Amino acid sequence: MVLQLIKERLHGAMPKAAGTAIAALALAAGVSAVAQEGHPIKGSWLGTWESNDVHGEFVLLVMDWDGEKISGIINPGTDNIEITRATLNPDGWVVQIEATDEDAEGGPVHYQIEGRIQNLELPDRSIVGTWKHERGSGAFEVSRQ
Amino acid sequence: MNPTQATPRFRMASIRIVRPLHIAAAAALAISGAAHAHHPISAKFDDTRPIELEGVVSAVDWRNPHVHVFLNVADSDGQVVNWAIELESPVVLERSGWRRDTVRPGDRVKVDGIRARNETRQVWADALVYADSGREVLAARDLPPKAPRTARPTPRWPDGTPMLGAPDTQGGYWSYPTRTALVEDGVRVEMNKDGLLANLEDAAKVAPMQPWALGLYMHRQRRFLQDDPLYLNCKPPGGVRHMQSSLGVQLVEDRERQRIFVLMGSGNQNYRIIYLDGREQKGQVGGDDDNPLYYGRSIGHWEGDTLVVDTADFNEDFWFTNGGLPHTEQLRLIERFSRPDFDTLLYEVEIQDPGAYTRPWKSSWELRWVGGQELASYFCQDNRS
Repeated sequence: MVLQLIKERLHGAMPKAAGTAIAALALAAGVSAVAQEGHPIKGSWLGTWESNDVHGEFVLLVMDWDGEKISGIINPGTDNIEITRATLNPDGWVVQIEATDEDAEGGPVHYQIEGRIQNLELPDRSIVGTWKHERGSGAFEVSRQ
Repeated sequence: MNPTQATPRFRMASIRIVRPLHIAAAAALAISGAAHAHHPISAKFDDTRPIELEGVVSAVDWRNPHVHVFLNVADSDGQVVNWAIELESPVVLERSGWRRDTVRPGDRVKVDGIRARNETRQVWADALVYADSGREVLAARDLPPKAPRTARPTPRWPDGTPMLGAPDTQGGYWSYPTRTALVEDGVRVEMNKDGLLANLEDAAKVAPMQPWALGLYMHRQRRFLQDDPLYLNCKPPGGVRHMQSSLGVQLVEDRERQRIFVLMGSGNQNYRIIYLDGREQKGQVGGDDDNPLYYGRSIGHWEGDTLVVDTADFNEDFWFTNGGLPHTEQLRLIERFSRPDFDTLLYEVEIQDPGAYTRPWKSSWELRWVGGQELASYFCQDNRS
């Protein structure tokens, strides 16, 4: 579903190289999610952060859990935005992610993402919520690949 | 339901009337596989909703993972409907002395069971009862072999090392685990054989879980373990799970090659290998590099009469125990196998997983020797055809 969305919108505003990279990653990951019965946040998550005119509408997160903290990268291979802080609260399965990057002019862009894990029991579970930075905000939705 | 409505004449009529329904039901099952899907009993059936039925057997489906007896039952309006009665696996029923033709179409039986959670006409039952004689049939009387009055001595190899497998050519395996879901030693919580807690408030007592692991464990418990990938996708019974299965394990010692094969009655008759040749924990076998693994990598050594096995490199694609306790790739198991007498295998395991638990913890149980038999043939994929 997400892959189809990407294909349909690749001709849009997204930088071609980034779109191709994300599509390739999505293809590599396969259509159905790989089983992951451990920490719910671990894995690759693909989807959209709508109305993001700094980094485009599509987003890929790769996150890991080392037993103490969540780490990860946003848009690896293209933007390489390191996640500086991420938490998962099992009371409601609330995910909070913070990351920092620069815009095209070199200005700071501090991302704050907050959402809830939906369909926790499924390999292709989702995080649905909102994102914001200094100059924008919008809906955020990614699905585990 | 009014049992008195079922006269012999009506019985014949019932079979005629319901045959199209039966064919339709069989077609639906063949398409969806839903009624044959493998599952913990408590995931599909609600033990707070008892139901009694009486009717005429229209068909018996004797295959893994569960036997189904289809029953034509007259409702209060006299209309006959078909119910699916789900029973134990063919393996368990055959060990209890029953055969695929013990109950036949046309037999009139009573059922005292529990209803499906999804309101379909499906019932779980531990047995059927012949309506005319009151005799119980297809009851799962799968009890462990009687222990001898005097414990038989531990069989040993010529060098004195305990034998973990069969001491003769007649074979045998270990089954009837006294614990079928992980709980930390010393903790008393009530749960069924699938590991479903009687009281969800006990969840935090089961093991020293990190908050996320406790949350995920409770989520799985609230959903009655219906998401268990062992049942949904025939994922292997890795971790300690094959040691919790009533289908048993066989320990085959290859002393020349210094390894022990753990053959599993569950999990599509998978096996794992315990290496005793002193190799290191990682990268020890060519072609074994699909890291990480469902069964991890196991190396072992003897400490007196106890085999100590260190297993690591597990993946996260399965549940490592009945009941839904989570684990991560950091899982490491220190297993201790000992045979205090001929018929008893003591299994002790320390769970080390700093990704999911706040400290190492231990659990232990016993298995009973089933002599003179090989592992029963059981394939999870039978329900995928």
